[in-house]
Amino acid sequence: MNARSIRFRMTVWYAGLLAGLLILFGAFAYVGLEHYLHEMMIESLATQAQQIGELLKNVDASGEAYVIDEVEEHLAPESRSRFIRITRPGGGTLFESGPPKDRGFDPAQLPPALLPPRETSREIELPSGYDLMIYMLPYPSPAGGQYVIETGAVDREIDEVLHGLAIALSLALPLVIGVAIGGGYLLMRRALSPLQEIAHSAEQIGSHNLNERMPVARTGDELERLSISLNRMIARLEIAFQHISRFTADASHELRTPLTALRGELEATAQYPQLPPEVRETIGSALEETERLSKIVQGLLAVSRLDAGEADMERVRLDLAELAAATSEQMRLMAEDKSILLTCDAPGKVMVDGDRARLKQVIVNLLDNAISYTAPGGKVQLRIRATAHRAVLEVEDNGTGISQDALPHIFERFYRADKARSRQMGGTGLGLSIVQAICLAHGGEVRVESTEGQGSLFSVSLPLANQKG
Amino acid sequence: MRILLVEDEEKVSRFIARGLLAERFAVDTAKDGHTGLQLATDVQYDLIILDLMLPGIGGTDILRRVRHINPNVPVLVLTARDALASKVENFEAGADDYLTKPFAFTELLLRIKALLRRGPVSRADVLRVDDLELDRLSQRVKRAGQRIELTSKEYALLEYLMVNAGRVLSRTMIIEHVWDQSFDGATNIVDVYVRHLRNKVDEPYENKLIRTVRGVGYSIGCESDQ
Repeated sequence: MNARSIRFRMTVWYAGLLAGLLILFGAFAYVGLEHYLHEMMIESLATQAQQIGELLKNVDASGEAYVIDEVEEHLAPESRSRFIRITRPGGGTLFESGPPKDRGFDPAQLPPALLPPRETSREIELPSGYDLMIYMLPYPSPAGGQYVIETGAVDREIDEVLHGLAIALSLALPLVIGVAIGGGYLLMRRALSPLQEIAHSAEQIGSHNLNERMPVARTGDELERLSISLNRMIARLEIAFQHISRFTADASHELRTPLTALRGELEATAQYPQLPPEVRETIGSALEETERLSKIVQGLLAVSRLDAGEADMERVRLDLAELAAATSEQMRLMAEDKSILLTCDAPGKVMVDGDRARLKQVIVNLLDNAISYTAPGGKVQLRIRATAHRAVLEVEDNGTGISQDALPHIFERFYRADKARSRQMGGTGLGLSIVQAICLAHGGEVRVESTEGQGSLFSVSLPLANQKG
Repeated sequence: MRILLVEDEEKVSRFIARGLLAERFAVDTAKDGHTGLQLATDVQYDLIILDLMLPGIGGTDILRRVRHINPNVPVLVLTARDALASKVENFEAGADDYLTKPFAFTELLLRIKALLRRGPVSRADVLRVDDLELDRLSQRVKRAGQRIELTSKEYALLEYLMVNAGRVLSRTMIIEHVWDQSFDGATNIVDVYVRHLRNKVDEPYENKLIRTVRGVGYSIGCESDQ
């Protein structure tokens, strides 16, 4: 899974947002419920206290024993796990409930009530970990002074409810988020799958098949607009590209006729036997330049044809390893002439479908380049191997290398890393452009790695021939 | 031998005509398709040199009509187009040979001579230049009676030079005959091989036979030049 893909990022954001919202919701629900339950409990304690207060109103007439009976009977504190204590105005306990059934607390252990200025509540932590909530109500005695009525209950039930909620939330939350991630991912994939198709087909379009268009996703949405816009852009590129290659072809073509005349006239002049040596020298030099001009014109035409997909490419099945071995054998003398060790490592057959002459030109140009830029005593290695789907041809030298600044431009037409030197060697500035154009026309590519002063590695990768086809 | 040259470019036409005259051919020139077709119809030529891009009738049309009238006259097509499709079209229309501009005059001449089936395409078994001797049957090379060992490429190069002794062969021609077009990019392979060949053939001897003609190419000894 690509961590930078829109699908992934959208899902992560969406899941994160959802998780955040759910956690926030859970926290609010928890705190709100806790608060509400406490309020409810205090309210019920307060109601009880008020009931007791009503009984105390007539204590003088009914007697304390009546009050106690009433409380025991109606409120049944022990069986309902409640705490009730009534303190007389002068101190001294009128009534105190006994230990509750569940032994949740011991009333005898509780601190005595102090007369509060008004109704209030407090919590006493019990050894069990729960809190005993006590509501205290000062109640005026008809005889003067204030009774203190205390009603209390353990918050165990509240804690249990909240605990249950917490468990429910912590179980449900990951489940909901998980479902949301899965669902969101699938939804995003569905929504974005046309985008992947667009990217895939855009990837297939290069300078050699600009006439092709991408399938338009008829979804009526932004993606359809995107594919239409991309197609329009390809159309504009195609026109621009045709313009350039037509121009290059026309220019090369137009240059040939005057070049023919120039060359012919110079050659004819050079035939005169009585020419002074300086003139002969000048004509020779002019002829050399004409020759180079012809090669440039020819190279330009070749590159523009390959780029425009107009080259007449032969497609035959051939063994790249055998072609490389034969070609390097033919180039051996050129390497030896410079005392360069040229080795060819082509252990097994590597079959490709392609144009023999053009693929040979790739090998010749790369080897020629490597030999030219390697000092006497250096090494040039040609290696051919097959990977799972590609035929790989590598030319490695330990020559001058290419500077980092020059590296990205090395395949551009007429780009010269070392201008003075390469021109002196008589190159056309098109050798590597031709290599690249041929590789692209074969559905392959050429890459270069280089360290200045240590050498370069050119690696060509071509599709292997289909075994069945 | 009478040759018709149909070429609209004045200067190209002039140097070809001049060169052919120097080789003792009779040359008629036509500057457009109509004149060319007229001449080709009226006169029995031994060979026609035809440019493809012509005002009036195009070269390929002329070729078809000439073939209609005279199926046997050799036709050499000159063109600035080198697309394979164009070549195929013209061979189908009846061209005998095809030369892409710009070309070296020697190459044009060699092709004309090949089409006319007369020298200098020597079929001799033993080629001789001065005291250098190349036996095509045994593939042995001797100079002044001394055996010289050559690699197969050196032998092919020397043979090509000796078959065309006295003519200047361009690097492109040498590459196309001895190697193949794949080498016609930037390589100096011809110069390297010629140097090695010289070391074996010329170095030990007083009289140097292999000559460099600057800007044009190489030739091997004798005749007019030195």
